[in-house]
Amino acid sequence: MKRGRLVALALVFVMVAMALGACAGQGAVAEPAAPSTAPDTSKEAPASAAPTEEGAAPVKITYFNTSAEVNTMFEEMFARYHELHPNVTIELIPTGIGEGQQEKLQSLYASGNAPTFMNIDPANVIEYQDKLLDLTLESAPWLELLNDGALDAGIFDGKIYGIPWSVQGFGLLYNKRIVNEVYGGSFDPSTINTRDALRAFFEKIEAAGIPATMIHGENWSVGGHYLTLVYACHGPATTDGTGFIDALKAGTKKIEDDPIFQGFMDTFDLLKEYNYNKADPLVGDYNADALAFGQGKCATYFMGDWLWTVMVTLEGVEQDYGFLPVPWSNNPDDYGNTQVVMVLPKFQVIDKSQNTPEQQKAALDALEWMLTDPEGQQFFLDAGFCIPYKNVREDVTYNSMTTSIAEYAAKGKTINLGCFSYITGDAWTQTGNLMLQYLAGAIDRQQLAQGINEYWQSVK
Amino acid sequence: MKRGKKALINAGTFAAFMGPSLIAFICVLLIPLVYGIYLTFTNYSPITGTQDYVGFQNFAAIFSDKEYLGQFLKTLRYVFYSTIFCNVLAFILAYLLTSNVKGQNFFRAGFFTPNLIGGIVLGYIWKFIFANVITLIGKSLEYEPLMMSFLTHPERAIWAMIIVTVWQYAGYLMMIYVAGFVSIPKDILEASDIDGATGLKKLFKVTIPMMVPSFIICFFISISRGFMSYDLNLALTNGQPYGSTRLAAMHIYQKAFQANQYGVGQAEAIVLFIAVAIAAVSQVLLTKRYEVEA
Repeated sequence: MKRGRLVALALVFVMVAMALGACAGQGAVAEPAAPSTAPDTSKEAPASAAPTEEGAAPVKITYFNTSAEVNTMFEEMFARYHELHPNVTIELIPTGIGEGQQEKLQSLYASGNAPTFMNIDPANVIEYQDKLLDLTLESAPWLELLNDGALDAGIFDGKIYGIPWSVQGFGLLYNKRIVNEVYGGSFDPSTINTRDALRAFFEKIEAAGIPATMIHGENWSVGGHYLTLVYACHGPATTDGTGFIDALKAGTKKIEDDPIFQGFMDTFDLLKEYNYNKADPLVGDYNADALAFGQGKCATYFMGDWLWTVMVTLEGVEQDYGFLPVPWSNNPDDYGNTQVVMVLPKFQVIDKSQNTPEQQKAALDALEWMLTDPEGQQFFLDAGFCIPYKNVREDVTYNSMTTSIAEYAAKGKTINLGCFSYITGDAWTQTGNLMLQYLAGAIDRQQLAQGINEYWQSVK
Repeated sequence: MKRGKKALINAGTFAAFMGPSLIAFICVLLIPLVYGIYLTFTNYSPITGTQDYVGFQNFAAIFSDKEYLGQFLKTLRYVFYSTIFCNVLAFILAYLLTSNVKGQNFFRAGFFTPNLIGGIVLGYIWKFIFANVITLIGKSLEYEPLMMSFLTHPERAIWAMIIVTVWQYAGYLMMIYVAGFVSIPKDILEASDIDGATGLKKLFKVTIPMMVPSFIICFFISISRGFMSYDLNLALTNGQPYGSTRLAAMHIYQKAFQANQYGVGQAEAIVLFIAVAIAAVSQVLLTKRYEVEA
């Protein structure tokens, strides 16, 4: 009996000690471990040392994915890669839609389990810059295959950290069937290059009894996308946009003195006037708005080609859409009046702070296969992605929205949204909330401008 | 010697029974709390790994965070109204369901059910009701105030949250009040009957004073839950329209994880913790004075 109790007591002490030990260990790894001290994961990998062409030792690497809608695509891709390279095992760390992705990545880093490579937002690339592997055309010659200009987006502070892999775009989507019916089949989207032209277009559609446009009443749309146009249209270089933001932060410029801001807000007033959601502009129901647009209840919609992923899940919606620019002035030559936004929303990056050089090399090789090998690319194409590489097979057909973006891109008629990468953290929620207040009529333009100035000045 | 052995055995028994839960308590509650307090004095960032001592800077930053102060007042208002309405409704329901209504067990179960649905699911259900069902009713009746979603106006959205909170918790608190009603000794009620106390007089002079312990628990639960409400807030309004319904907990979360200001977020969490503690404890102490012995 007595011995039994003593054993129980000893057990509890061991448990406490282990638990405390585990907690203490967590605190200690907050400092990034040097690559040389990282655990030798080759021991953990399966011992089935199948002979490979290089006779390489087995490597186990992890992949963190923030494109939650395509977790399965990556899983299948990695399974196929393992068949081709039996010594490399890639474990997917998936995230869910709407799940705290930033928080998950932060905790992976803080607990010393940083993924070997990952698919993250540009803003994250800037945040984690110090921990990421910088690439060169010598270490990864296949980056030459990227479309012109695409690689520039992945360069931060003069170094290549991010590898682009998908292209998206946004602007004013229009329903081709409705517009062609109203215009008798003679509609030319390139004629919408001034605000007055847009107004005439809206009036003509309204005259046919169809609400002309729709604004999605959510802060990411009106703040993250619409308001970002103001910064981006300061010029085709990323520094044009970020320079303007820096001036706002320093307080040397006021946004209300900026003609581009005033122009975009005049256009916003126009969109507001013809908004399908005018009666209750802040409802912001993504699926309901997608359904309304898909069923032809309004002719245009300020949105991006990612809308397609919702469209395919809906029944009885139309298939044929195109993009219009959002003109902010009455001068057709102004930057932004004939262009739509094309953006590289995600980047592939490799961690160097908590993974061994062998793991980093394995990740780089895997990325090369995924992005430039026809078999790897096919996975992306099947999932409907438009990938910006020169060697992509030419016979792919994309959905109508992506095709429209690609047409603008082919003509060089795209807005560089590079400054979007630098709008980190809570910028679009905060300024987006101001835009929503303006949309609902709770504040006027002067108050909106003042709020935006105050926000940027509060950011360090 | 014998005494020492007994103490050891006692300690052993204690460790065997309390050990596991104590470990859990220390690991998931005590250590994070202490570590959290420590973090408020640093500029911790999980991304860069920095963790330098900055003194009271984070607490000073709270006072320049005008938005937090605004959200905090809004949280107080939300807690105040939801506590009042929850308890009033719960008490009335409990009163009705202990006065031998037909099918009272069925009603008790029915009113309790909303509490079994998680806050997130509940939030989405009610979001649908507010945005689609009520507006549809409003449109068919052509009754102007119901034609717009409750969730798109800053004032009405807060009230929408209060309504859902009341709907969720009233049934839960009702069960506690039912237990309170049932546990009142029959002889006291009989004595009051004999003394000629009827209806409301009996309720206010006998029943309610006897039920003070139930009130203490119910107020404690509704106040502390109200302050820490996050899931319902996230699912129902997500801070919309334009950030006007972000309650304190949600603001803290966004500050720490989205604006990447861990120190400030953590300091705001400590302030919230102190506020909840003060409100809850003072409520208990105040109400305890009304407790009577049977």
